[in-house]
Amino acid sequence: MDDRIGRIGRARGFVLLAVSASFAILVAWPLVRLAIEAVDGGLAPFLAALAPEGLEAIGNSLWTAAAVTLLALLGGLLLAFLTEHRVVPGRPLLLLAILLPLLVPDFVSALGWTRAFGPAGLLDRLAGLELPGLYGPIGIVLVLGSGAIPLAYLLIVAGMRARAEPDLERAARMSGADGLTALRTVSLPLLWPVIAAAGGLVFATTMNTFGTPAILGRPAGFATMTTRIYGDLAFSSSEAAFQRVLGLALLLVAVVVVIVALTDRLGPRNAVRGAISGPRGQTRAVGRLPLALAWGFVAVTVLVPLAALLLTALTRAVGLPPLPEHLTLANFGRAIDSRTLPALVNSLMLAGAAAFVCVVLGAAAAIAPGRRWRRRWSGFVALGFAIPGSVLAIGVLLAFGRPLRDTLLIILVAYVAKLWALAERPIAGALDRIPAIASYAARVHGADGLAALRTVLLPILAPTLAAAGLLVFIFALHEVTISILLYGPRSATLAVAIINLQQLGDPTVTTALAVLLTLLVVLCAIPLIALRRSWSTGLIG
Amino acid sequence: MTDSAQAARQRVAMTVLTIGALLAACGGSSPATSVSQPGSAGSGTLNLYTSATQDTVDAVVAAYAEVAPDVSVEVFRAPTGELDARIAAEVREGQIGGDVLWGTDPLSVQGYASQDLLEAWTPPEAASVPDEYQTDTFWGTRLLNMVIVHQAAMDDPPADWTDLTDPAYADGVAIPDPGFAGSAFGVLGYFATMDEYGMDYYRSLADNGTTQVQAVAEVLTGVAEGQFVAGMTLDKSARDAIAQGSPVEIAWPASGAISIYSPVGVFADAQNPDIAKHFANFLLTQEGQAAIASTGWQPIRDDVDGPEIGGEQVTPDWPELFDRQEELLEEYRTIFGG
Repeated sequence: MDDRIGRIGRARGFVLLAVSASFAILVAWPLVRLAIEAVDGGLAPFLAALAPEGLEAIGNSLWTAAAVTLLALLGGLLLAFLTEHRVVPGRPLLLLAILLPLLVPDFVSALGWTRAFGPAGLLDRLAGLELPGLYGPIGIVLVLGSGAIPLAYLLIVAGMRARAEPDLERAARMSGADGLTALRTVSLPLLWPVIAAAGGLVFATTMNTFGTPAILGRPAGFATMTTRIYGDLAFSSSEAAFQRVLGLALLLVAVVVVIVALTDRLGPRNAVRGAISGPRGQTRAVGRLPLALAWGFVAVTVLVPLAALLLTALTRAVGLPPLPEHLTLANFGRAIDSRTLPALVNSLMLAGAAAFVCVVLGAAAAIAPGRRWRRRWSGFVALGFAIPGSVLAIGVLLAFGRPLRDTLLIILVAYVAKLWALAERPIAGALDRIPAIASYAARVHGADGLAALRTVLLPILAPTLAAAGLLVFIFALHEVTISILLYGPRSATLAVAIINLQQLGDPTVTTALAVLLTLLVVLCAIPLIALRRSWSTGLIG
Repeated sequence: MTDSAQAARQRVAMTVLTIGALLAACGGSSPATSVSQPGSAGSGTLNLYTSATQDTVDAVVAAYAEVAPDVSVEVFRAPTGELDARIAAEVREGQIGGDVLWGTDPLSVQGYASQDLLEAWTPPEAASVPDEYQTDTFWGTRLLNMVIVHQAAMDDPPADWTDLTDPAYADGVAIPDPGFAGSAFGVLGYFATMDEYGMDYYRSLADNGTTQVQAVAEVLTGVAEGQFVAGMTLDKSARDAIAQGSPVEIAWPASGAISIYSPVGVFADAQNPDIAKHFANFLLTQEGQAAIASTGWQPIRDDVDGPEIGGEQVTPDWPELFDRQEELLEEYRTIFGG
């Protein structure tokens, strides 16, 4: 019966066919090619993954990713309730600060944390303080967790805006529920589909992230699945090592998909759906303490590490204290060369195209199958997201290397395979919260399926679609593990140019590039955020 | 100021190169030129797969343009792991996109040689490369020297490899992870196969609280920032950092820096084998070597000026290491984890 929302007759069948074909070409075929190569080595690659060290790495990956997911969801929820349910002074600034870590590539934020809180870091120089356990699992969880909060926050807020609950919450309060009870019985259950979608994405992102565990884990001898995969990748001129890479990566995909599927089933069996409410009334001012806490949190996890990075970028040579006589802008000059501009153009084109295609495919995969099949499709699409970028790139090379080698298109194919889920999950999460009544109403008033989609569903979904596109755009803009394997003479991306310029690791230049990249992403993101706000206020606010 | 110094260096290097090229052009029949270049380069496109640093690749490509103006060199440059993964995928897909492979360390390049992916031939300039730095399919182009780097403000800095296990530097030493960097693996191979060190050397390092970081450059950064007092890093990056004013110094180990050679070879199914061989051989000529040296690396030929070398150099018995990566790394990981 619910299916009526998505049922748009023949058009729907056609869309389903297109989604299935895209999935088969973009995600399934590269994965199958990888599996063929891995199986070619017999069972050895898989057995290697299950040796004691392999199991330890799997365990490490699992528990750090679980901890990161919890941290990110908790932080994201708290911040979302704060900014969405209360009148917050200086709201735009706080929003930007909350979202800032999303705009910073994750290896850069790990670098920022070590510069800020590590031994001989900014805090150590200023106050003799350093964060114990930064190198090791604690540091990994803190850096990845605080970095994932904006991802969770963005998805939760987009979900909240797709259907406002203050009405229901107020009803609960008027009926005598205290704040906590209203939260437990009304707000959280309503949000569950979005929370599950956000949690699944954070978990999958964390499971296949490499930069932070490599920077913070190696010194403590703490291995995760991705650092082990990369370790073998470094020796992939040996056939055994290459096959081990593929075996481990496929195992990683399996683990992520199973866990995400399981968590999707947790929580309320049927997400609570209610009526669309009227404009949200943000009348209660935020308390001074929560606001101070929010800003304190943002300062510690975002602003201080970024400031430490900026200081490093401005310092003449690594290791010099950031005194006026040692400061220079020269690193920024060295960071920009004749390759940077074409690479920037490539990156912007790729990120824009990936955002467009992913949102279209994401919406199609979320809407077309109907409510009953939506979750299954979520699982399929998540396959591409679950695989580490470097291994996905190998799969895409195996699948399409001959016709598409060195083109921008092959990079786009890999981006879409990887980031499809990033667009699909928030849209599916928001759809799960939209009451079927909305489109029944349209149908009753004579709208056909397509008209209902256009006039009811799309306007409600607009903020979520914009958020999904923004996410894909940002992730694509600082993606490096895929493009470094796939680029050709004319298709280098900005992140590739950065990696290549700094390979001997002069951190002053690296951080200068990172700062430039961050600035660029911020510049690109501001109009998008503004656009998103005007859409959401115009259409449902 | 640093920048202008660097620019000046580059200008000098370019002038030297230009003069060299002019001389070569004028004396077209001089023996050095005709021997150094087999046939003519002809014209066409060359695909170079490399993990050499970007500035070095740029310098070499610019110098090559003087010798072979009708060849356009397309570069795919990536860190060793990514480069190797791309080649491994292309091998399985059916066609390697590169003509020339210019790697950072002999071990990963040997992996391709043992799969018969590299052409066996003899570059005219091979005789100028020391025997220990060449095989039938690849030849050394430059040396990466693993040395000791320490804080400049140290009273009693370590002077040799064994000093790093001294309790005086407990908890203050950093080493790069041989599971990530080919150069660090070469060092592991050297210590593991030398009787006076052996794996016990790494055990003593671990017992002394030594920290393993991922990349060679992270050691340098950590020492410069005061996180570590000393560690193992590559001479070129340490020299660059010192030139910019980083508070570190190089201690050239008394028993010798460990030299790793960066090899060049030609893919067996290169689309342009003649141009590929011409380019690979060019890296071994004086002109090619000068271009490499202009970016701070030690050239493989001793008749080309390079950076100042601070003492003895030793190198592992490479063929001995070629098939022992797994075994050595496994033993290493029981000591340092990961």
